[in-house]
Amino acid sequence: MKLVNFKFRHKLNTIIGGEAHNFCYQCGACVGDCPAALYSPAFNPRNILLEALLGDEESLVGPDSVIWDCTNCNTCYERCPQAVRPVEVIIALKNISFEKGTNPPGVKSILDSVKESGRTVKTSSLSDRRRKELGLKEISIVPLEELKKLLE
Amino acid sequence: MKYAPFFGCMISVKYPQMEASVRKTMANLGVELVDLEGFSCCPDPIYFKAADKLTWMTLAARNICIAEEAGLDLVTMCSGCTATLSEANFHLKHDPELKEKVNQRLKKIGKEYKGNVSVRHIVTVLRDDLGIEKVKSSVKKPLNLKVAIHYGCHLLKPSEIMRVDDPDHPTILERLFEVAGAETIKHEKQVLCCGKACTHEEIPEKMTYDVLSSIKKSGADFMGLICPTCFDEFDLGQINLSRKFSVDLKVPIIYYFQFLGLSQGLSPEDVGLHLHKTKADEMLKKIS
Repeated sequence: MKLVNFKFRHKLNTIIGGEAHNFCYQCGACVGDCPAALYSPAFNPRNILLEALLGDEESLVGPDSVIWDCTNCNTCYERCPQAVRPVEVIIALKNISFEKGTNPPGVKSILDSVKESGRTVKTSSLSDRRRKELGLKEISIVPLEELKKLLE
Repeated sequence: MKYAPFFGCMISVKYPQMEASVRKTMANLGVELVDLEGFSCCPDPIYFKAADKLTWMTLAARNICIAEEAGLDLVTMCSGCTATLSEANFHLKHDPELKEKVNQRLKKIGKEYKGNVSVRHIVTVLRDDLGIEKVKSSVKKPLNLKVAIHYGCHLLKPSEIMRVDDPDHPTILERLFEVAGAETIKHEKQVLCCGKACTHEEIPEKMTYDVLSSIKKSGADFMGLICPTCFDEFDLGQINLSRKFSVDLKVPIIYYFQFLGLSQGLSPEDVGLHLHKTKADEMLKKIS
């Protein structure tokens, strides 16, 4: 029998949207219309919530966690009768994974791109040329110094 | 009617044809878009939010502050930017403790989030502020084409925050495409996600394939949407899918304001249709 890892659950409670996991009563309303569950048998939001209730740190925020297959479509947010907002619990778990460094590399590269250029998609001579051809103004400058202070 | 437009990264950098078509069609409708200086990435509601929700919210609040300083509501054209800015605005308006935390951080750059502007997706400006009839009056050449709509997720959900339409039975995009002359065609996978956010690419691949096949089967001339991320997945993604599975999908993907622009008399080049990976030639032949 698994013992509940309360330390992990307390940690989850400190992240925005994480605390609501406590209210899940495992009804499964989040599963039926979940597109990720439809396309990947390994992904099941109800199971993820059960693991959150058990505090199963290794499975949830380990290197091969299934949480990264969530499509972020927010359908479970609509369906949940307990206002658990499973998608937000999953994102809170992703935050813990990021802290531990077990996240997929794409997360870090988006963060780095915003730090370096203020955008997720960097401008290039091609993008500048396209804007000009379409009669658009030059792209505005992002005050990187301000961002840097907020990202420290 | 004045708004502060927030074009975001995907549209301004990768798909400027969407920005061009918004600017041109809104000018035709007499809406003034006041460009404000200093916006950053919204930031991205998938990966950036996955790294650190509080920092994500702080950067979103900084963008909202810029609109507050100008006293203008923010208008978004990308479902991702809409999600980030609407969610941040909602939570900061409803959670004083969170607002205090974010404002502590914003103090470092001399800003303060107050919570006195709204974030609106631009299609709600058309429906609610201008009105469908006004949009219709700008149409010079109704385009008699069949459209299969792909709503995407973040325009509608979470509905308690977005408040755009019924998330299961939306009508807003149908109404907007119809006033520009299109016939809307229902298809099986109308509310399926594009899958872009999943890390393992087999999932979005299958979803995208299913959505496109469902549209192909419906007999529609094109897919109509309002999200640049879904566009990325369906326009460029379609080329990759065709190669990988040796199928010939050829479903043109059109952003709403490109379609509205064509119906207002703009040329396909004006709205940047030539920049799409999946060519719209067949569809354009029908209306030339």
